[in-house]
Formats: sequence, C-alpha cells, structure tokens
Amino acid sequence: MNILVCFIAAPDLDKLIEEDWVIDKDLQIDTSFLKPTLNSYDESAIEIALRLSDASQKTKVSINHKALTIASTPATTILKTLNALRFKQVVRIDSQDDFRFRPGAIAYILSQYVLKHATQDVLFLGRQSTVGENAKTHLLVAERLGWPCITQVSGIEVIDENHLVVTSQVDDGQIRQKIQTPCVLCIGEVPNTFMRVPTIKDRMLYGKRPIEILSTTDFQLPDETEELLDLKVISHERHGIFIEGETPEQKARELYKMYLKERLEKI
Amino acid sequence: MPLKRKQIVEALYNIAGKDHVVTDEQILKESSVDRFRRFEAYHGVYSLPMPAAVVYVKNTHDVAAVIKFANENRVNVVPRTGHSATEGGLETALENSIVLDGSGMNQILAIDTYNMQATVQCGASLQELDDRLREQGYTTGHSPQSKPLAQLGGLVATRSIGQFSTLYGGIEDMVVGLEAVFPDGGITRIKNVPRRAAGPDIRHVIIGNEGTLCFITEITVKIYKYFPENNQFLGYTLDNMKTGFEILREVMVNGYRPSVARLYDPEDGAYHFSHFAEDRCVLIFVAEGVKPIADATATAIEDIVDRHDECVKVDPKLIEKWFAHLNWDPANLAAEKVEIMETKNVCNTTEISANWGIINDIYEVCMQRVRNEIPDLTLLGGHSSHSYLNGTNLYFVYFYNVVDCKPEEELTKYHLAIKKIIVEETIKAGGSMCHHHGVGKHRTHWIQKEYGSSYYILKKLKSAFDPNNIMNMGTIIPLEK
Ligand SMILES: Cc1cc2nc3c(=O)[nH]c(=O)nc-3n(C[C@H](O)[C@H](O)[C@H](O)COP(=O)(O)OP(=O)(O)OC[C@H]3O[C@@H](n4cnc5c(N)ncnc54)[C@H](O)[C@@H]3O)c2cc1C
Repeated sequence: MNILVCFIAAPDLDKLIEEDWVIDKDLQIDTSFLKPTLNSYDESAIEIALRLSDASQKTKVSINHKALTIASTPATTILKTLNALRFKQVVRIDSQDDFRFRPGAIAYILSQYVLKHATQDVLFLGRQSTVGENAKTHLLVAERLGWPCITQVSGIEVIDENHLVVTSQVDDGQIRQKIQTPCVLCIGEVPNTFMRVPTIKDRMLYGKRPIEILSTTDFQLPDETEELLDLKVISHERHGIFIEGETPEQKARELYKMYLKERLEKI
Repeated sequence: MPLKRKQIVEALYNIAGKDHVVTDEQILKESSVDRFRRFEAYHGVYSLPMPAAVVYVKNTHDVAAVIKFANENRVNVVPRTGHSATEGGLETALENSIVLDGSGMNQILAIDTYNMQATVQCGASLQELDDRLREQGYTTGHSPQSKPLAQLGGLVATRSIGQFSTLYGGIEDMVVGLEAVFPDGGITRIKNVPRRAAGPDIRHVIIGNEGTLCFITEITVKIYKYFPENNQFLGYTLDNMKTGFEILREVMVNGYRPSVARLYDPEDGAYHFSHFAEDRCVLIFVAEGVKPIADATATAIEDIVDRHDECVKVDPKLIEKWFAHLNWDPANLAAEKVEIMETKNVCNTTEISANWGIINDIYEVCMQRVRNEIPDLTLLGGHSSHSYLNGTNLYFVYFYNVVDCKPEEELTKYHLAIKKIIVEETIKAGGSMCHHHGVGKHRTHWIQKEYGSSYYILKKLKSAFDPNNIMNMGTIIPLEK
C-alpha cells in the first residue's frame, strides 16, 4: 500500500516571545529567526505511517511510505530525520511563493503529484498547520482527486491491500469505518503519537539519503487557484479583573464574595 | 537502636507542628528521588529507602531543632529547597531519613542597593529575587537554566553556575555571607564584608556542601547594575570545536569578559540552531554592562573571531531570540515527562571542566568512546558554556531511546554508563569530573580520584562537622557498607 504523508515545517511560534508578536502592514510577523518545527497533527500522521509500516509483518501488507512537503525553506534537518526514520522516499517541492493562505494551490500541487508523479493509495494530511491555519487542504485535495476524505482521524488499521479501518472523531463520539482505498485521511488529535526519534546510527546510515527535490514550477498552477487579497485580525480579547489579596485564601474569599456567592444562592 | 518511623514523625510534629510534617506515601516516594531517577519515577518505580517524613520548616530555629534531634538520634537528614537537583543529591540513601525542606523559608529579607547586596532566606526563588532586582535596575547576575525552579539554598549548596558566568562568575563569586545550621544544632553566621584575610575563607565550607555538612538558612549575595539595553549579541558558525576552544581561550586570556561565551558542537548545535547552522559548530557571545565596556568587549571579540577564516557571522537576532526560551519552568518539566513517556527518548547530561591544554582531547575521546560503546543513542553532543582564564567547561548532552530494559535498568544501561566514560576520561586527563551540578550520589565512586591527596581535607571536614554521619549520607562521599 502506497501511503503519502504530506506535512509542513513551520516556524515554531511557541518560541516567539510576546514582544516579537509584531504584525506588519501586510499582516505578517517576522519569524525568520525561529527554528522550523512540525505541528502535532503532522507529527501524528508521520508516526502513524511508521507504525503501519512496523505492523506490516503482521498484516502481511507491505507499506510503501513517502513523505512530502511543499516548502520555501529547506528544513533539511526535518527531512533528514524522516530519512533516518526510514521513509522510503522524502520529497520536497521547492517553492518561492508564499503558500500560507493558499490551500487551493497546495491541493492542486499535491493532487498533480499523485496523478502525474507517483500513484498513491492513501494520503495522510495533518488537520491544520500553525501558519495559515486553513484547515481545508485535505478536503480540497480529496475533491481534486475525486477520493473520499475522512476528517479528524484518530486511528488507522490496515486490513488488506485495498482496505483500511479508520477511526475518527465526530461531534458526539467516534466512528469506525471500513473503507476502500484510495482515500484522503486528515489526521486530527491522536493521543500517544509523538514522533519517534531516530538513533544516531540510523541518522548516519539513512539520514543522508538523497531527498527528491521538485519545484512548484513543475506543476504549472492554473489561474483559478485562489489569491490572497486581504487579512483581518479578529480580536479575541476578553475583559479581565485581577483579584487583589495578600494570600490565596483572601483571594479565594474575595472571588466567592464578588462572583460566586450570589450565583450559588440562586441555585 | 535506630528510631522507628513513628517516633521520628512524632518528634517532628512536636518541633514543627503537625501541619508542617508530611507523611503521605506518594509525597514520600517523590521525596526519595530527584531528577536523576526521573525515568523510574515517571513509571511509578521507587526503589530507594523511603524517608520517614518531609518537614517544611518555617524558620532557622525549626531547622536547628530538627537537625539537633536527628543528630542525637542518628537519623539521616536530606536538606532540600527547589527540588531541581540532577545528580541524586536528594535521594534518600537510608531508610527513615528526614527530608528537611526549606522552600517555605522564601523571604527576600533585604535589598541594599547602596552596599550592593541582597539577603534572602534559603527557599527564596532565584527567579523572584532577580525579577525584583531587575525592576529596580539591578540583577544577581546568576542565571542557571533552572532559574524558575531553583532556590537560593540549593543553588549555594551545589556551587551552581549560570549562563552569564563568564562576567559574573559562579555562585561562589556572588555569595557574601551566610547563615547555616550545623549538625549539633548550632546556628552559624558569616558576616557580609567585601573581603577579609582573617584565616581561611570559611564560606567555602558551606558553599557546595550539598547538604552533607550543614543546612543553609540565609544567604547574602552581591548585586550588580543591570543594563540590558547595552547587550550586544554575536554569533558565528565554524567547522571545528578545536578552533572554537582556541577563540574562547583568546578572548579569555586577553582579559575580555563577555557575560556569555558558548561553543556548541554540530550535534548539540543542531538541537538548537539547525535553522542556521546545519552540521556546523556554533559560537555565541554576549557583551554586557555599561555601554563603553559592552561596546569595547563586542568589538574586541569580533576582531579575534575575524582572524579565524572558518568563522561565519550570523544575524545577531538569531542569538538574541534564542535566549528567551533557554530556561526551564515547571511547564517544561511537565511537557518533558509526557514526551519521554511517549517516545522513551531520554535526555541526560554530564558536565566537566579542564584546562585549555586538554579540553579538546577530552571532548574528542569522550565523544568517540560514548558513540562506540553505548547503544540506542539518538543525540550525542557537547558545548562549552563557562570559560575561565585557564580553561573551560564541557557539558555533554545525550539522548537515547530506552530499548529492551525495565525503567529501573535505564540508568545502568545508559546514563551511568555514559557518565562513567566521561568522568574517567576527564580525571585521567587531569580535569574535574563535576563542573556545576555537584557530585550528588552517582559520582561518589570517583571522588577519591577527583581529589587525590587532598581527599584528606574533604574527609576531615565531614568527620569534624558531621561526626554522627547524619547529613545527606551517600552524597559527595560514598556510603560505607
Ligand atoms: C532543567 C534544569 C536545568 C538546570 N540548569 C542548571 C544550570 O544552568 N546551572 C546549574 O548550576 N545547575 C543547573 N541545574 C541543577 C540544579 O538546578 C541546581 O543544582 C540548583 O542549584 C539546585 O537548587 P534547588 O533549590 O533546586 O536545590 P535542591 O534540588 O533542593 O537541592 C540540591 C542539593 O543541595 C542540597 N540542599 C538544598 N537546599 C539546601 C540547604 N538549604 N542547605 C544545604 N543543602 C541544601 C540538597 O541536599 C541537594 O544535595 C539544572 C536543573 C534542572 C532540572
């Protein structure tokens, strides 16, 4: 089974201190000094693919897992790590454009990659990147490929060459479905799927294997993919009050008196 | 006849009050270890003797009463403040120990900006003290990575050091005076004077004692004027550690005092700086102080580095912004636990020091041996972060995947096996096996080799001040079986 994990390495915004959250006139923040990192959804997607490969002896279905990113920065360390984790192939589609708010363009490139460069059975995409936060790339890819898409995936089992059992979150619960490939799976919150760490030996043996480099220019984007015109910040600020007091007890008492007592009495 | 647990607890109730004595089983388990055994602890495995109780003391008199009681009844006492120790210094080596916790003695007693010193109780948080000082334009100059966790008592007891040590020194250069309680229950104060030549400097009996001679109750440290607006950040990538050590040496022997002078090898560097230093060493400097000094220091360092062709300068912003996340707070510890439990990928460190003439050899032989002899490593690197006129330190950092072993076997299979290589190679070359974490309980095996003929002085100190062997037994000096 050919599995393509599509991921993005983005600046580690957790490392941006408050004073550096300065939004310029194009609504951009300077993140040039931040190390690129994987978001938790992509990490889960990668780890799940590796676990399916680990399980292939048991399932008797051989897994051919590839990892692909569309990136303007090399993020070489991450790509080398994926090589060291023994992905069969690691691909970087080099881009000089800013794709952060263009999920349609990314979806177009990914679908073209699958159709023209390397046939796949399953695509894994993390739910959402930390930059852009579009949360729709997976749906757009599925639409372009004409494949079913399951969102909020939290578990995958391989049944045979053409079937998977997929667990996903829905509003009020979980569903397990047996589905036929090809399909697009959007990986949501999956507990216990931190990406494993390759050993130094594996990094030396496999980490330096060549990375396949393509360019977005290989995928001539049609004019109809979207173009970013404007961004607006929605303020989520809330009114807050500091409760003063010498000790935690005093503060708790004050909280009770001012905000809780009356409400509790009404119950 | 050793006292029974119940008798010890009763006595502690009488001294400190029931509210200040904890005997909850889980707390006792957690109090039997420190960060050294965190992998076992994460798995709920506690293999050491259980303490009888943790007593949270409120003042020096309580401390004295507890220690006096312990001394009279031969009960082992493990002093504790911030609980951030990394080398087993907080492990309870003997059954029914008393964990004497000073974290509640957390007052900042005085900030004297005329005489440039601050006095605090042992449980004062370094972060709080430094924040308070910075609000007024001063600083302690002490900034270990554990600044949000550690407290002044522990920081002094371990001879800790911070990121800005090349300018401000280690804690031993900052401490002016102290108050401490010795095993006979006597309270000792060393007064706060700029210098004196009235016999040996007895502060050093207390500084670095790791709870094996006395309990530190109060500390006075120097304070410095703080000029963050003048800070200059410099960063370079380079090919070789050897060149990096040479540059550090040139900076130091020419008398420049950047607050930060750090050199990372490619592996350790990749962990922090992969976005600009792929497979390269990284050299970092910060010049600080009043503007003329900060400027002159930065210019001189740039001149020195410029003479080495392999150095490539990087955007100073990359360095400046990196510092913002270097320190560890409780949230980092919690996140680390989750990550380790999921990945079984554990990080540990060993820090040593040596003169310029041998530091690179130690680096090379340790890297080679650890890489060849230890399985399942995922990262092995090192950096120098504290330089002196005559040498520097090396902080080896290693991550490994815990494979095919029980939680209680992790230390022997990995961390201790690595530590052994580093300590033995360092001592063999003539360096010191402990740069700033203290000896704790897991480097005691080599303490005689570390001291050579001067071990006599150390042993005498222990037998003179703690004749009944009640202070943190098994720390610095090994337990005699
Ligand atoms: C994430 C992390 C980063 C760290 N970074 C640094 C660093 O940059 N530099 C550095 O030097 N260290 C570092 N450390 C080690 C540790 O923070 C220091 O050793 C610190 O000095 C311990 O202070 P504490 O208050 O936590 O002491 P504790 O952990 O409570 O105790 C440490 C030792 O001191 C003894 N002790 C504690 N209080 C007293 C007292 N009042 N009287 C006598 N003995 C006492 C204890 O018995 C024990 O042996 C780091 C630790 C962690 C977890």
